[in-house]
Amino acid sequence: MVGRFVSALIVSDRGAQMKRSFRLIPRLDVKMEWLIKGVQMEGWRKVGDPAAYAAEYAVAGADELLFMDVVASLYERNSLHDILRNVASSVFIPMTVGGGIRTVEDVSDMLACGADKVAINTAATRNPDLITEVANRFGSQATVVSIEAVKHSGTWMAMTDNGRNHTGRDAVKWAKEAAEKGAGEIIITSVNQDGLGTGYDIELVKLITEQVRVPVVCGGGLGTTEHLRDLVMQTDASAASIAQALHWKKLQLDDLRSTLEDTGCFVRKLT
Amino acid sequence: MSMFAPGANNPPRKYGLPATVAFCTCCGVSNQRPNSAVEFQHTADSEKKTINFDENGVCDACRTAARKAAEIDWDEREAKLVALCDRFRSRNGSYDCLVPGSGGKDSFYQSWVLKYKYGMNPLTVTWAPNIYTEWGRSNFDSWIHSGMDNYMMTASGRSKRLLTRLAVENIFHPFQPFIIGQKCFAPKMAIMFKIPLVFYGENEAEYGNPIEDNTDAQRSYDYFAASGDENMFLGGESVASLKENFGMTQADLSPYLPSDVAPLKELGAEVHYLGYYLKWHPQAAYYFAVENGGFKASPERTAGTYSKYNSIDDKIDDFHYYTTYIKFGIGRATYDASQEVRSGDLTRDEAVALIRRYDGEFPERWADEIFRYLSIDEKSFPKAHRMFEHPEMNRAYFEALSNKFRSPHLWQHDENGWSLRQRIDRL
Repeated sequence: MVGRFVSALIVSDRGAQMKRSFRLIPRLDVKMEWLIKGVQMEGWRKVGDPAAYAAEYAVAGADELLFMDVVASLYERNSLHDILRNVASSVFIPMTVGGGIRTVEDVSDMLACGADKVAINTAATRNPDLITEVANRFGSQATVVSIEAVKHSGTWMAMTDNGRNHTGRDAVKWAKEAAEKGAGEIIITSVNQDGLGTGYDIELVKLITEQVRVPVVCGGGLGTTEHLRDLVMQTDASAASIAQALHWKKLQLDDLRSTLEDTGCFVRKLT
Repeated sequence: MSMFAPGANNPPRKYGLPATVAFCTCCGVSNQRPNSAVEFQHTADSEKKTINFDENGVCDACRTAARKAAEIDWDEREAKLVALCDRFRSRNGSYDCLVPGSGGKDSFYQSWVLKYKYGMNPLTVTWAPNIYTEWGRSNFDSWIHSGMDNYMMTASGRSKRLLTRLAVENIFHPFQPFIIGQKCFAPKMAIMFKIPLVFYGENEAEYGNPIEDNTDAQRSYDYFAASGDENMFLGGESVASLKENFGMTQADLSPYLPSDVAPLKELGAEVHYLGYYLKWHPQAAYYFAVENGGFKASPERTAGTYSKYNSIDDKIDDFHYYTTYIKFGIGRATYDASQEVRSGDLTRDEAVALIRRYDGEFPERWADEIFRYLSIDEKSFPKAHRMFEHPEMNRAYFEALSNKFRSPHLWQHDENGWSLRQRIDRL
């Protein structure tokens, strides 16, 4: 079963044909001052300076950036402020920031440091009303819920701390609830596929896009341009988050932009 | 209870542990960490030798790691490995080396490089876990089906359960029968298949055994061979008592008893650490196993720690590290984090944060199953069951037993319950 964007062309209200908009979002997992990357969210390796990679991706045609402080919850601390301030002065594409966001004040801080959107995981699973509070205060366009899904016995469990701790929630149901609470975007990352470069969990993305009307960012597994094509053609996802394929230079954003063009998506011109 | 009072003066010590607790200034491991011992002599009265700290408060494991990074000529070591392999490599396709392993990331790496890089014909052998985790079994299958021949020994659950229960009761060491069985198993297979070369992975010195132990490529026969059954203990109980009081037969016990030295010598058996020849990095072994065999991290962190990729195949493992926390004040997060600091994957500050968050967490996830496993019911154990004051294991009894094994120099008790007197995050 293919998604309703199979032709990647949408007929707008006025009957004119519009190209599908699909975003490419490099994901930068940050641990202390390092850009890092793991496999199945385990065995993190240092990649380099997150600010340098962010600037490079922005120039190369990324539509947005996603920063995740992967240890904020694990170590119970936050360390993104400095990196974010550093990047905000040189990167002018939208930035989403996640990791250790627990309160409305944390959101406010991050937005003040230059983030456009804030992604919440642990704190939202503990108190879903936080989503509503953040959305009411800063708008749902700034309110993103990040879900780490571990597939087990045919269902997906929503986890925290990089697929380490259980929330007791089903990832698909949680996506629906989070959207109802006011999330303006859902990031769904497959922990099983993370870092492997063997393709996205298409089945999971389909289940979630069927449940929610807000944009869904899909992460975990991109290794080839085929994987992006599969995601675009087979699901209603709005964006792909990409990490190791770019960090380890297996793919360039150019390759992915061409793939989007081939599938009939709108690709903005680089200046 | 006064010896457990906060601020107690010079509280007594168990297990011959050092009186003053210290944490390695490099990796954070505690000086209470016992070295590997020959387990056949392990009884309730055994005194431990513990990890050595130098005058700067740096542990032997860190000094070993520093040597690995700086002093050792790894090209020369690899050349030695090739020479060793050349000396034993079979020309007719018969097995020429034995690789004991579980199908975890390390055995995966070991057997793969030997077979596909150095052209050996390894036979892998596995001493089955007490109770497989779902993902442990699946990784084992992936390992074998990625290109390894394997023999697995599954010792009778009945004897394994009884020995494990005794090990909990006598020495609070639920993993001991597994360790013993595993260490004895490979040499026996070597004798049976006439394969004189056995490869283990890392030397225990990587984790803090005396640094001199790591200067040798070969493992001492003491760990797995002996010249007789006298003075032999399993689960802290003498072999004679196991037969006389617990209804175990020689056949029940034989999987846990070491090989005779004579046939090993006759075979010319050599037991080598691959970690002596190749620079071992646990994280790299994980990447290797994922890449080459579809190894999967566990779908949740292990109880008592943050990690998802090491020692994930036996459900009793959670309890092993819980008991080390009780006896030595060292939980699984300390072992994991200090290893990652030594490997350069974590800073000491990060380790401290992880230890604070997870060390000593009670392993709830499979507790009921483990307690059933450790219960000595009358039907299965008509003789042995009479030897226990409390044949059924349950949470209350386990906790009472825990308290018996706490050393007063490590633990205090007040209105908030038990806590460690010295913690790395409160210095």
